[in-house]
Amino acid sequence: MVTALDPEIAGQLAEDLPPAVFRRIIATFETDLSRLTAELQACAVTANTDGYQRAAHSLAGAAAAVGAVRLASEARLAMDPLQPEAPATLLPRLSAESRLAIAELHSLAQA
Amino acid sequence: MSDQRGRILLVEDTPTQAEITRALLDELGHAVRHAETGAHGLAMALEWLPDAILVDLQLPDFSGFELMRRLRAEGSEAACIVITANGSVNAAVEAMRQGAMDFIVKPYGKARLKVTLDNALEKRALKAELSAVKQRLNRGRFFGFVGSAPVMQAVYRTIEAVAPSRANVFVTGESGTGKELAADAIHKSSPRAKGPFVALNCAAIPRDLLESEIFGHVKGAFTGATDNRPGAARQAQGGTLFLDEIGEMPVEMQVKLLRFLQTGSFQPVGASRPERADVRIVSATNRDPLVEVEAGRFREDLYYRLYVVPIELPPLRERGEDVLMIARHFLAQFSREEGRHFRGFSREAEASIRGYSWPGNVRQLQNAMRNVVVLHEAETVEATMLPAMLLRADRRPPVPGRLPDQELATGLRAPPPGPSVPDYRPPEPPPAPIIEALAAVEKRAILAALEHTQQDVPRAAALLEVNPSTIYRKLAAWREG
Repeated sequence: MVTALDPEIAGQLAEDLPPAVFRRIIATFETDLSRLTAELQACAVTANTDGYQRAAHSLAGAAAAVGAVRLASEARLAMDPLQPEAPATLLPRLSAESRLAIAELHSLAQA
Repeated sequence: MSDQRGRILLVEDTPTQAEITRALLDELGHAVRHAETGAHGLAMALEWLPDAILVDLQLPDFSGFELMRRLRAEGSEAACIVITANGSVNAAVEAMRQGAMDFIVKPYGKARLKVTLDNALEKRALKAELSAVKQRLNRGRFFGFVGSAPVMQAVYRTIEAVAPSRANVFVTGESGTGKELAADAIHKSSPRAKGPFVALNCAAIPRDLLESEIFGHVKGAFTGATDNRPGAARQAQGGTLFLDEIGEMPVEMQVKLLRFLQTGSFQPVGASRPERADVRIVSATNRDPLVEVEAGRFREDLYYRLYVVPIELPPLRERGEDVLMIARHFLAQFSREEGRHFRGFSREAEASIRGYSWPGNVRQLQNAMRNVVVLHEAETVEATMLPAMLLRADRRPPVPGRLPDQELATGLRAPPPGPSVPDYRPPEPPPAPIIEALAAVEKRAILAALEHTQQDVPRAAALLEVNPSTIYRKLAAWREG
């Protein structure tokens, strides 16, 4: 059962685009996730708040674009300067959501 | 809804979002380019000239709004569509306020992107069309013409409409109104533009030589014909032959011209066999061609051959502010040619130029400006520098018609000859003159003639002794006014 993705957004993308293009988009999304997650962690270590929020913003955008709504919500929490959760709590959750979203996107591409 | 294909520039820094949008745009058949920063997007927009730009608001170097401001400042006419994650009304209002044509909320699918882009491209096309129409309606220059008066816009439109056809054109208008410029504009905007334009002034050529000038001659055709010589008809092969002052053409020559128009062939003087030439004829006269026909000075059959599309050039006194526009044009041109430094006119000089009736029309204005530039040197033309005729009190609108050369030179006008009176009646004391604006008198006369003829424009025109096109032009101008 799909849980990490909004079926309307992700399903529509899969429907609108040829399978090869959809797979290429998933690959780009994976690259984006790796880079942005690494940036978030680096900024958390150096207490670079601006960089942390910028990376979170980009991650939220990328996630929303493929319909990874839960990941997008977590990223938006990270970009909110008033949110109470420390990076140490939030980042592991965000990584878990990333893995889940990728896995479900691959499933959708194979369907 | 339209289904246009366009050149779309995407300015988006998130690779996943950019990849998706590119893929959707490809699917929709658009040509796509992608920039990741505002600066790169700006450079690409100015170089590639896209039809629409999809602008992400948060870019690494500066905001999407700033990008739109810079695009506007650089004169970009692309339709900007803001892409934003914030779908609030405030965000939409702000996007429009900043010059966006539309906005689209992320994430978006193919259908949403298509509707937004189709609308934007259609709006942009309509805007471009409107701007082109506006520009055409308010043209201040048209080939050699200078002037933006509504009557001239009508002339420009007629020239554009008739130019692509093969129809013969008959240009009428007082001396100095630009009949040859009209013929030249017809030629240049026609498919014959690459062919020759040959102008011949029928009044300037002795009667005996006119046939030879138009159709050429062979060696020995007459005394002095020492060589074969092609005439204007042959020289204009594939182009346009402009016959100015055609009303001056002798009737026997008119017969030969008519034959040429009917058959496309002519016989050079002294030649034994005919030649053919493919030319378009534009003719002109400063006389009323119908009056000439009625008086037997111009063949009716030739008149109908030539008078296919009439163009009547208005006198300068009917062109409103054009007189100053043209005066400034000549002042700048002659200042350059004569090494002077004139930059404009004093208010008094402008009032004198505007108030004068210019019976010799644009040619007289041209001569007056040359006179000022040659005889004076300053930055501003003062009223005292203008030729004396402009400063005299005689500013009555003159009767349209031919002006003798002396009158053109002096600006003074002789009283028109009155009609012959068959039987004598004792003169009545003249009524007190009612002074009215000429335009009002003219309008009343035209409307009365139309009422009298039950709106039959050609008959009304005949009663008023003007061309029907004059009445159509006036009616159009009143409607526009």
